[in-house]
Amino acid sequence: MPVSTGSCVLSDMVHSGAENEKCSACGSSPPWAMTSPVSVYSNSNTLDTHIPSASRESLKMELLAEVSLLPGEERIIDKDIIYICPFSGAVKGKVLITNYRLYFKSSEADVAVMLDVPLGAISRVEKMGGASSRGENSYGLDIMCKDMRNLRFALKQEGHSRRDIFEILFRYAFPLSHGLPLFAYVTQEKYEENGWNIYKPIEEFRRQGLPNNKWRITFINKNYELCDTYPTMLAVPFKSKEEDLRRVAAFRSRGRIPVLSWIHRENQAVIVRCSQPLVGMSGKRNKDDERYLDLIREANDTAKLTIYDARPNVNAVANKATGGGYEGDEYQNAELIFLDIQNIHVMRESLKKLKDIVYPNVEESHWLSSLESTHWLEHVKLVLSGAIQVADKVSSGNSVVVHCSDGWDRTAQLTSLAMLMLDSHYRTLRGFQVLIEKEWISFGHKFASRIGHGDKNHADQDRSPIFVQFIDCVWQMTKQFPTAFEFNERLLLTILDHLYSCRFGTFLYNCESARDQHEVRSKTVSLWSLVNSKMEIYLNPFYTPESGRVLYPVASMRHLELWVTYYIRWNPRIRQQQQSPVEQRYKELLALRDEYLKKLEELQLSDSSPSSRLANNPTPNTSSPTTSTPSQQYTHLQTPL
Amino acid sequence: MEHIRTPKVENARLLDRSSGQRKASTGTLYLSATHTIFVENNPETRKETWVLHSMVSSVERPPTIPAGSQLILHCKDFRVFQILIPHERDCLDIHTSLVRLSRPEKYSELYCLSFNPNVNKEEREESWNFLDLMGDYKRMGVPNNLWVATAANSEYRVCDTYPSELFVPKSATPAVIVGSSRFRSRGRFPVLSYFHQDTLAAVCRCSQPLSGFSGRCQEDEMMLLAIMKSNPGSDYIYVVDTRPKLNAMANRAAGKGYENEDHYTNIKLQFIGVENIHVMRNSQQKIIDVGEMRSPSMTDFLWGLENSGWLKHIKAILDAGVFIARAVADEGISVLVHCSDGWDRTAQACSVASILLDPFYRTIKGFMVLIEKDWVSFGHKFSHRYGHLDGDPKEVSPVIDQFLECVWQLSEQLPCAFEFNERFLITIHTHVYSCQYGTFLGNCQKESRDMRFRERSHSVWPQLWKDRAEYTNPLYKADLSQSQGVLRPNTTPYCFKMWKGLYNHMEKLTPPRQSPADFLCAVREESQQLEKELTNHQERIAALTGKPITWEKIKVPRRRMISHLRQRHCGPDPPSTYTNPFASPASVNGDALSSEPVTQKAQTKDATLTLSLGLYSHPKSHNPDDFSTCSDLESGVADLSSRSSSSGENGKDPYIDEAAFTTA
Repeated sequence: MPVSTGSCVLSDMVHSGAENEKCSACGSSPPWAMTSPVSVYSNSNTLDTHIPSASRESLKMELLAEVSLLPGEERIIDKDIIYICPFSGAVKGKVLITNYRLYFKSSEADVAVMLDVPLGAISRVEKMGGASSRGENSYGLDIMCKDMRNLRFALKQEGHSRRDIFEILFRYAFPLSHGLPLFAYVTQEKYEENGWNIYKPIEEFRRQGLPNNKWRITFINKNYELCDTYPTMLAVPFKSKEEDLRRVAAFRSRGRIPVLSWIHRENQAVIVRCSQPLVGMSGKRNKDDERYLDLIREANDTAKLTIYDARPNVNAVANKATGGGYEGDEYQNAELIFLDIQNIHVMRESLKKLKDIVYPNVEESHWLSSLESTHWLEHVKLVLSGAIQVADKVSSGNSVVVHCSDGWDRTAQLTSLAMLMLDSHYRTLRGFQVLIEKEWISFGHKFASRIGHGDKNHADQDRSPIFVQFIDCVWQMTKQFPTAFEFNERLLLTILDHLYSCRFGTFLYNCESARDQHEVRSKTVSLWSLVNSKMEIYLNPFYTPESGRVLYPVASMRHLELWVTYYIRWNPRIRQQQQSPVEQRYKELLALRDEYLKKLEELQLSDSSPSSRLANNPTPNTSSPTTSTPSQQYTHLQTPL
Repeated sequence: MEHIRTPKVENARLLDRSSGQRKASTGTLYLSATHTIFVENNPETRKETWVLHSMVSSVERPPTIPAGSQLILHCKDFRVFQILIPHERDCLDIHTSLVRLSRPEKYSELYCLSFNPNVNKEEREESWNFLDLMGDYKRMGVPNNLWVATAANSEYRVCDTYPSELFVPKSATPAVIVGSSRFRSRGRFPVLSYFHQDTLAAVCRCSQPLSGFSGRCQEDEMMLLAIMKSNPGSDYIYVVDTRPKLNAMANRAAGKGYENEDHYTNIKLQFIGVENIHVMRNSQQKIIDVGEMRSPSMTDFLWGLENSGWLKHIKAILDAGVFIARAVADEGISVLVHCSDGWDRTAQACSVASILLDPFYRTIKGFMVLIEKDWVSFGHKFSHRYGHLDGDPKEVSPVIDQFLECVWQLSEQLPCAFEFNERFLITIHTHVYSCQYGTFLGNCQKESRDMRFRERSHSVWPQLWKDRAEYTNPLYKADLSQSQGVLRPNTTPYCFKMWKGLYNHMEKLTPPRQSPADFLCAVREESQQLEKELTNHQERIAALTGKPITWEKIKVPRRRMISHLRQRHCGPDPPSTYTNPFASPASVNGDALSSEPVTQKAQTKDATLTLSLGLYSHPKSHNPDDFSTCSDLESGVADLSSRSSSSGENGKDPYIDEAAFTTA
């Protein structure tokens, strides 16, 4: 079983994906990476009973010796424990808890189970069974995770072993509830590249051709006074004055005024994002807001401005009761379209249902109708088709305004997906980072509230997998356009792993003002430092750059799939391919081709008489393959597709 | 021709519903002896649509609407065509003709049997010798000291639906064979289907025993004992009854049933629960409906899929194969498989098991052998099941569709394990129904012999083999671990997907998707080309350094360029066979007919690839001295440029690359 460095996240059912870069550092084949999926599998299934002898060797050694800790990571406690594995039954072993992770390794020779869970992924820790508990393994801990799995450990009843572990876990899994710093502030990791430099708002505006004679950059929010959840630098219509902006802010929920997210280079149509207008029950009007939207329309001279309200119509109406609402007929030259995307609570429950049918066991008897009853794919479909509508409108030259209630959940999904469809730059590895930094992080998607970093309050109604859903949509797009994205599935998995891990500052806090206050950029490491210091493992070999191409995915049920390699990845029966076989084969063939090219070149050098003729006749338009260098060949292959 | 009253209708309109076409195109409809042909009026495209009569499963004539009279053609490959005809009388004529033409009453009406059987006589005879079934048994190591050939069924004396050449346990005497066959439904006694050399375990097949409630037969018991004995080291065999247990029990009332474990001391009986042909027929209709739904909601789609039960049935068949493969490969126990008559579910289970067990059957050639062996030779009733002739609709059932789908599901899960691709499976599916070749005609070997199909038609396999470049899976590598040994698929329900390529023509064209497989093919081809170039260089160096060299040696076989140009869906229409089925309409358009559809399809379907690869070869072909490579490279240019024709993935694409290419 070949293990590539790419195997860890994908192939290891028990290994946390957050650790992928570590195992590549510790050599080509960490024993657990080879053995755990295989042997666990052999327990639940008679498929493969082969256990490499290397793992037996290593088991004789100190179980926990091989854990390589991150700089700044400290051991807190280790203990004998029994892991109640849902796939291979109770497994004896040792658990190690650090200030960053929970690590478990089995001590049984025939079941090589390994767990490596960042504490940040834990949403809830509970004691299971009491002093009076009878029955084997009925006394211990239940751990619920944010990443679609649960863990159960059994302990001996004697001593205070459970109390110790429980308290330590509780403390370090929820540091913010205990006055401790998040691990991102503790880690001492160093990377070649500083990921915080990936997104510079001014550069991104410049790339889009801004400012221009219709749009200007304003610093009105430089102290977060206009809107405390917006970034400091905003692009607004050239004709709008600063006091207009203030008056508009007063009429938009949380001051999130309409600002530019993206502009189409050719037709100058724009995507503008904001929050709902404060219409209220009485149907208040605000002339400034109306004029402001009209300025947006005027900027590229179209007859109508399209406002996409991401919510279902009823929800938008209901919001009037709490002072919100939607743009009515008083907005002349504007049309309003509802996109019927449900709110964060519906999404949370939907994913919870999905977890119920895939973990630990995948529903068998009525798989399709169970999947249907979660409605997860339906939500994905609605988000995607909403984004398609936005993208289509913009590419046909019409400016759009997108909002939901507060403009930080569904709005972020729609604008970022539409931008991904419209702008091939965001489909590159670095461009995608910019997209996330810009549309999600800087525009105040409330990561802290939605994920609950370091917070023990697991039942918080603010938590919701909005960002996960966005990444799912991106994955659906990569499935439909396998050559359009520079990055691969592994990047998406890594992003989701570190959405929870708290090892990087990237997804911490709700908005830029909070990040400034907590000095995230100076005191923590960016996830993009990790990614960009090891880019090659996140690259899609089939990527073919095509600037100017708009992607329209099919948001039809027949073309959307459940993202099995994410949602069901803990199940050992998901055959974990070390790497997509297609990718692998392609790379092999590319290598083979390069080898031939090299040989040919060598031949030409040595065999001067016949090949000189070859070398001398390249016609201007057709570059001869036999005379160009391999690197030229490479670009060649990529350009035409 | 006697059935065609109106051979030509002008100003007809055609809507290809299955390809998601939104607007009807106007053109001329022709009815030939073999095809319905629609030629677009648009002088720029003049697109042609050919529908073979034998591919039409039903012709609907909905009420006339103001715009004209309608005809809806449902095809056996699940395509749907809607035709609007200006005059009702024409429509009626066409309808009557099509109903008659699509339901031939006797074999002689099938056009593969009615056209000059003596054209290409040698080629035809050779085509039937393309596969060598005995050779396959030899490959398995049979005959040997455990399994021997028996002459018992020569001239089909014992069982008229079995092949004449059969393999049985060495210890089975003719008396045992004859006795056992009398105790088995339709005389289909236990014979060898697959022998696994690694474990010496065998897969055998038969029909249900005529046991009723208490009947027994000594010879049959001896037969099963003989099977066990032919696997040294095992003390029992599995008897896999692929039916649901209830069905098997119900059969006892009719004097049939299953093996009584009290009578057969050395067996373990296992029911798998694959439903019968009637359930499968209904289930397939439901999944076809799901495939034809227009923009279904999530609920409609998933519930439709689940309620069809189709994927559940596919899983059951795959489970049967997995059970057999495990018994044979992991436990080393021989398995006897049967259902009722042993020609539907048994064929499915045995062939799926063989695919899982033996890498050879996962190659293009091996897959042909497998179908020829487990299906054709063992008397799967092709003509009944696939409605080749007008007959009992209750006999029709998608049995081999399910087998092909099992293989497709496997290939989705284990993408490197098969030498062939989805297109190969779909092409076989098409030809099972198309009656273009004699391979699948008739219901058993005897009938095929009696009807002299071999003398009157061609075999499909050499044709597929000739086109194998189209059917090759670029991911396949014989030495890859996944390609070798026994396949162990995951058969949990979430692993089964709807086979969009077969059931959902509707959304296939939107958007034209880029496929990594195309990339792989491109690089692979390029590598092959480079390899050849390299060889040429080396040869030339050899020549220049004074060693004599024969030019024949470096002559590179001309690359097949046609394969890339041919349409991708590989349906039977337009005809690409050696028989020339053209009737009158062909002569109307003359040469244009035969050449145009080919190139057009290539342009519309082969959208994706690739320019620079094509450019590679230009300079070399200018080199007048380089005779040795010229032919090869030219063809290389041709086939590459054909594929490069359009890189526009959708309407918004600025076609930059295409422009670049045309300037080049």
